[in-house]
Amino acid sequence: MLEIKDMRKTYGKTTALAGVNLNVKQGETVVIMGPSGCGKSTLIRCINRLTEPDSGEVLVQGRSVLQLSDEELMAFRRKVGFVFQQFHLIGRLTVLENVMFHLVLAGADRTWAKEQAAAALAKVGLHDVHARKPEELSGGQQQRVAIARALAAGPELMLWDEPTASLDPILVGEVLEVMEDLVRSTNTTMIIVTHEVSFALRVAHRIVLMDQGQIVEEGPPEVIFKAPVSEIGLKYKKLLAS
Amino acid sequence: MLSFFRDGFYKDFIVLVLVTILLGTLFSAGIAWALDAYFGDTLTDMIGEYGQYDIILHIQEESKEAAFRELERLGDQQFPGARLSETITIAGQANFFFGLPEEFRTKEVMANLPSYFAAVPGLNSHTIISDPSILIRGVHGSVSDELAQKIEELPGVRFTFTDMGNMIVLLEDPILAKALEEDIKEILGEYQLVELRFPMGFEVDTAQVGEEAIRLLEQELPGRKYRNVTAAQYGEDLNAFLKTLVEMRDFLLSYASKVRITADPEVYLIVGEQIAIQGQGAELAEGGMLTEGNVVIEITAVNGDQAEGMIIRGEIAPAMESLHQGGYRVFSDGQVARPIGQVEVENERYRLAYAIDESLRLLEELEVLSVQATDAVQNADAVLNTFQEALLQLEVLQAQMRQLNQGISGKDSTSSSEQLLVSLLINGLFQSLAQAAVQAGEDNLDSLENLDIAAMRASLDQISDQVANVQDIDVQAIINQIEYVRETLPMLGDEDIGRSIRLINTYIAGQVIPGERIQIMVENGQVDEGQVETVLRRSLDNPYLNIYSTSVGVINPDARSEIFRLLTEVRAIIAGLLAIVFTGAILMLDHAVVFSTLKYLRRAGRAKRLRWQVLNPVLLFGGLLGAVILTSVYRLSGAEIPYLSLGSIVLIGGLVGWVVARFAERFSPVNIKEVTAGQALGLSNVQIMREIVIPSSRPGLMNLLNRWKQQFRG
Repeated sequence: MLEIKDMRKTYGKTTALAGVNLNVKQGETVVIMGPSGCGKSTLIRCINRLTEPDSGEVLVQGRSVLQLSDEELMAFRRKVGFVFQQFHLIGRLTVLENVMFHLVLAGADRTWAKEQAAAALAKVGLHDVHARKPEELSGGQQQRVAIARALAAGPELMLWDEPTASLDPILVGEVLEVMEDLVRSTNTTMIIVTHEVSFALRVAHRIVLMDQGQIVEEGPPEVIFKAPVSEIGLKYKKLLAS
Repeated sequence: MLSFFRDGFYKDFIVLVLVTILLGTLFSAGIAWALDAYFGDTLTDMIGEYGQYDIILHIQEESKEAAFRELERLGDQQFPGARLSETITIAGQANFFFGLPEEFRTKEVMANLPSYFAAVPGLNSHTIISDPSILIRGVHGSVSDELAQKIEELPGVRFTFTDMGNMIVLLEDPILAKALEEDIKEILGEYQLVELRFPMGFEVDTAQVGEEAIRLLEQELPGRKYRNVTAAQYGEDLNAFLKTLVEMRDFLLSYASKVRITADPEVYLIVGEQIAIQGQGAELAEGGMLTEGNVVIEITAVNGDQAEGMIIRGEIAPAMESLHQGGYRVFSDGQVARPIGQVEVENERYRLAYAIDESLRLLEELEVLSVQATDAVQNADAVLNTFQEALLQLEVLQAQMRQLNQGISGKDSTSSSEQLLVSLLINGLFQSLAQAAVQAGEDNLDSLENLDIAAMRASLDQISDQVANVQDIDVQAIINQIEYVRETLPMLGDEDIGRSIRLINTYIAGQVIPGERIQIMVENGQVDEGQVETVLRRSLDNPYLNIYSTSVGVINPDARSEIFRLLTEVRAIIAGLLAIVFTGAILMLDHAVVFSTLKYLRRAGRAKRLRWQVLNPVLLFGGLLGAVILTSVYRLSGAEIPYLSLGSIVLIGGLVGWVVARFAERFSPVNIKEVTAGQALGLSNVQIMREIVIPSSRPGLMNLLNRWKQQFRG
């Protein structure tokens, strides 16, 4: 479904991606792990071109994302759900508006959009907060709203950029629970960047370990965490054991 | 960056820019117009409507009530129906407007208008403001009548009159003013005033040199008419004033105490330097400070070791004798420095006062003396008469004695012996007496007879006449006048005199004292000033000669029009400044968010980092936008800032826009998280702007316009 070829990205003199190659199948849940600054976030942001890679190729269902026109890119992004680390909700809009507004702007009927948004919110366990502003919600609730927003359009691909990293540890569980449910209940292809090892172990079809802008190891969780070959893999194994 | 606008935002942006320009124009022009209207109305209140008044009378503030009553009376009695209005009082001067009824606006009345107000209490000066009119300033007296005649022949001119060297041309209609100005300029152009100036103190026979100059001009530059019109003009007053000042300074210099300084060897004095002497104060000592009573002298002339000076501080004691004291240099803070030599001061004022007092005493004595002399002459005359009578009696007695003596010596011998003896005894006795008397009387009489009684009388008569002449002299009148002179002598001390002289010197130093001048009127066309100079300089051969060529009058813009023109200029300047302020403000407060967003998108996009940030397309776009907004607002609001061309305005606008774009994030930071979310959700740039960026930005024009298209109001 998704093919990344020799993707490279630098920020000034810092190399974020140093030739990443990755294939993701339809319906597959890939968890990308690695130390901070290893290029995980850059990698998934390059998939929908929130960050423009310096070189390489991103093919989604055989079509080059980097060659898309502005209109095509927007259409592509509408099919890709993106969950940010810091929620990125629109502060002036209500919870319901946050979830539905992109549907309306994409041309959907407002009533339908509202229904879709309500359903998405229900899916993440939010029922009575439609009229609230994001600032009135807890971090976990805000992230669930962000997840609902990503789900509302029925994406073919979900990109998760450390969705629990900004949350209070007490609130992490509720988000991970939602994510697990989604992984199990949908057939959406998911690429999740996270540090949650146990979560990865539970939900991932495949784990990709990155270090210094490169994929250093990948494979099923049981293989990666039981018999890692990379230094990073060993560290995660040790972490899991403790 | 273009893609940012391509998906539809350009329409929003164009509307925004157009509305910005419109609003800016309304803002700049509106405020400027409001100010203009306000000042215009204020001005109209101050100086009245066009043509409403004819003269402004400038009155001393303290006399304004009395002046107002007098003006009312004047209006009622002389000009029934006149308009009178009091306007602002500035710097102790009240101002009254006086407007004549139309029937009184005649040449005779207007020409003498100021004289009607001569008796108004506290009147300082006046300004003629009749409208519609054209004012010609500095009309030369020699052509005034001629000019008036020619100008009055022009259609549309009611009449002309002069006021304080200016000619006022009253028009029938203000519309004709422009055309008539041109006609009058043409008339003025027929004349030219050539002025030959000689420096002050240069004696020149103006008539002779003037005629010579005219002859030369007629010979060398024929075809025009030349006239010697040398006459007293306004410059003469200044000349007279300055000459008076010079005279006054000379008088004060002679009236001041004379100071002579003999410098010690090795001491060099310079003009303007200040030295001190003890005067009537404490003794001076090097390093000490001046005290009250010490005298400070400014050196006015130096000749070798001798110098002259004048007292600028303190007084010397009144005395006939010269004062001799040691002099010291003195610092500006009053500290006494090194000794410089001996200073001699002569108190001329005291000497003069003393001489006057002595003269008065003399005259008073003379008056008494003349009376006494008259008495003495009369007594001498009486004595002379008595003496003359006594002399006559003596002469008679002498004759009698002579007869007796002859009688005794010539007696008959035939007498008896007793008779003879008695006779001899008596005769001898008498003869001796008689002879003695005769002898003595003859001696005295001879000497008395030798006295020239007539000559003595003549002398007495002469003395009497002279005494009478002295008595004829009106000594009392002389005394009165000398007393008057004494009373009128300036009560000035040396310090006052010194200060006055310095003040006069300062004033004179700043003035160009005009010297002699010759004015030649050139008629029937202008002559080239250079040619005139060449001809006159060559032939008159005077290195100090200066030659000028001027017009015989200059059309002055109407004061009211000038004020309103100035107001228009001020309005244009204010509009210009407001346009700049508006452009800066609208870019900072409103448009900066666009620049911020563009800069973020550029950073997040594929654009390469530029080496020269000055060429950053966003900054260039900011510059372009600033230039477009400012230039448009500037032009549309009718702004005009002196010394700033349109090109400068474009540059200023560009610079303002560039700077705002450069620091846009500080003025209007963009919420990158929300923008990224919008991008990730597949929103177009125009949607991001309309639904995310602009609604979150500072309330303003962009926000207001955006609400029309915003789908989620929040």
